[in-house]
Amino acid sequence: MRHIIHADLDAFYAAVEQLDAPELRGQPVLVGGSPRSRGVVATASYEARVFGVHSAMPMSTAVRHCPQGIVVRPRFDRYREMSRRVMDIFHDLTDLVEPLSLDEAYLDISAVVASGQLPLGVAIDLKRRVKEETGLALSVGAGTAKSVVKIASDLQKPDGLVVVAPGQEREFLAPLPVGKLWGIGPKTAERLRRDGITTIGDLAGQPGDWFARRFGKRAESVRARALGQDDDPVQTERSPKSISAETTFPNDISAPEELRGKLAGLAANVARHLERKELQGRTITVKLRLSDYTTLNRQTTLTYATAAESVILETAWRLLAAELSPGLAFRLLGVGMSTFGEAPERGQQLALPLAEG
Amino acid sequence: MKLSCLQENLSRGLSIVGRAVAGRSTLPITQNVLLETDRSMLKLSATNLEIAITTWIGSMIEEEGAFTVPARLLTEFVNSLPSDRIDLEMEEGGGVLRFVCGRAEARIHGADANDFPPIPQVEEGVAARIGAQDFKLAISRVAFAAATEESRPVLTGVEAKLSGDRFTLAAADGFRLAVQHGALAEPVESDIGVIVPARTLNELSRLLGDQNDTVDIMMVPARSQVMFKIGGVEVVSQLVQGAFPNYDQLIPQKYDSRSVFDLQKLLRATRSAAIFARDGSNIIRLQMTPGEEEAPGKAVISARSEEVGENQGEVDTEAIEGGESKIAFNSRYLQEVLAVLERGQVALETTTSSSPGVFKPIGSDDYVHVVMPMFVQW
Repeated sequence: MRHIIHADLDAFYAAVEQLDAPELRGQPVLVGGSPRSRGVVATASYEARVFGVHSAMPMSTAVRHCPQGIVVRPRFDRYREMSRRVMDIFHDLTDLVEPLSLDEAYLDISAVVASGQLPLGVAIDLKRRVKEETGLALSVGAGTAKSVVKIASDLQKPDGLVVVAPGQEREFLAPLPVGKLWGIGPKTAERLRRDGITTIGDLAGQPGDWFARRFGKRAESVRARALGQDDDPVQTERSPKSISAETTFPNDISAPEELRGKLAGLAANVARHLERKELQGRTITVKLRLSDYTTLNRQTTLTYATAAESVILETAWRLLAAELSPGLAFRLLGVGMSTFGEAPERGQQLALPLAEG
Repeated sequence: MKLSCLQENLSRGLSIVGRAVAGRSTLPITQNVLLETDRSMLKLSATNLEIAITTWIGSMIEEEGAFTVPARLLTEFVNSLPSDRIDLEMEEGGGVLRFVCGRAEARIHGADANDFPPIPQVEEGVAARIGAQDFKLAISRVAFAAATEESRPVLTGVEAKLSGDRFTLAAADGFRLAVQHGALAEPVESDIGVIVPARTLNELSRLLGDQNDTVDIMMVPARSQVMFKIGGVEVVSQLVQGAFPNYDQLIPQKYDSRSVFDLQKLLRATRSAAIFARDGSNIIRLQMTPGEEEAPGKAVISARSEEVGENQGEVDTEAIEGGESKIAFNSRYLQEVLAVLERGQVALETTTSSSPGVFKPIGSDDYVHVVMPMFVQW
């Protein structure tokens, strides 16, 4: 079981402005573009939200709702700096931090919990540290699944703290409106409402085959989220666009067996990286640099995604072998994989990567 | 045409060629069986244009000739007769074959033998000879893994490679791969690889029964034909055109965990789980845990269905090498490979939950079966 925290800074841009300018504290602050130039609200302080102002609202509308609001132009460099300080505090707690934007992140605290601390204690400490070291208020949701903690952190904002105990996920989600669920947009929510499904609990109570009919390939993941049982891991980095390995030889190589040996090492390297990042690719590229520095790139795209070392090697070798001719010497070889396929759906039969013969 | 034969011989002959009779067909005469005098024998042939089966039965020929009659009608009629002599005779004016057996008599309307599709003569190809039971075992372990849908025609076939005194059969359907090696009864004069429709091999397997003889094979890739001779039966089949995928690279050479099972125990637990899996997503999960110190370790085989419930069975393994492992398979794929291995012990080799699982019978290096897992939440 994972223990995850969703940490979300309250009214972040406005809070930074209030922090830096004491005269703005307690005032309705509207961070965003000018009301005369079709600017929109980036963040409204909680004092301004009382008047019905929310982010993405045209600034001209916002000042109509809240004439006493103080409009402040955003200072993104300052927000980035503050964000970095907060993220550093997160990283003190765990290496597994997945930033979603400047002001929110998922933290995998499984290791901290395993060492004996309770999720509640971890959350309280985190809030206190952020407050003490940056002056910013943090809302925290803690629990066992991303879908649950994301909703939990939002529930008692500002300065909120909601811990959902293991086993209580479904009950916690049940009374909440279905549109709060990640992946259920306003349109889907509206369609579900027409079918009498208004709460997440209504959704979770539907039978398995109903989900399959309704959501097709997404059925299992939507259902898992509705039950608070999704197991999406905290992703510490974005997926790369390609993974490659290359090597320059101390002496140029022309013997095919030797080239194949080098290629095998590179293929193994790429395969290992793919596996570590849980990626499967379809496009295999070889990079060849001849002794005269001519550089060739040759690539082919398979009909299926794979991370198999043998497939990468054989495909790369086919591409390389087509370029071989007597007397040709190579100073550099590279192997790359790109066009990554989507991660397989739960319950999906994985395919055997059968290349054309 | 006029001849006599024994009811049991005709019945047996018709049941052999009957499997090649076309079902509904655009060419109605392929629903007939061709009866033809051939020296002192009666030759029976049927074809659905992909496969043709011919056999001979002993008979007393009085007048030579050839004719075709509806196969199903003739077979049912002959099977209803007592074990006695049957006299066949063309009626004057043609078009009708008269059968007399004791006091039973029938007139069957048929069609001219010249209208019957010619049964290809397969000669001058690469000849090979395989022990009937070796071939049957190989077919049973491989042919089921061939694709049944036609989106990639080569995958509906079984690749047969013959080299020296060895043969290899291989089939794959995109999710699994079965490869069986075996010894030829006599070495081939030149190496050859052909793709035989899995349907042909399944029919062949049926014809092989418990024969202990050898099967003579004649392959003519240029004409895309293959002929099998077993005892007094000839099977001619079209070959599947195209290149079979190179599968060697798909057989993992390494594993992180290897569990050895008693097949019967594993099969029993799998069948229990399958009952639950079939109402869900057909997923059967296997979790292997090595034992403490000398203990051999155990495996938990489970399946669940949201509607029906769940099932979990624990099986002692004979041995586990490497660490814990978890893998989920399609229920049918798992059952099928275990069923063809029947008895003895089987090893399951795995690396990760999303890498292929490899099944190998213990005590033989001749068979390997690779199955892609299902991606599940553990």
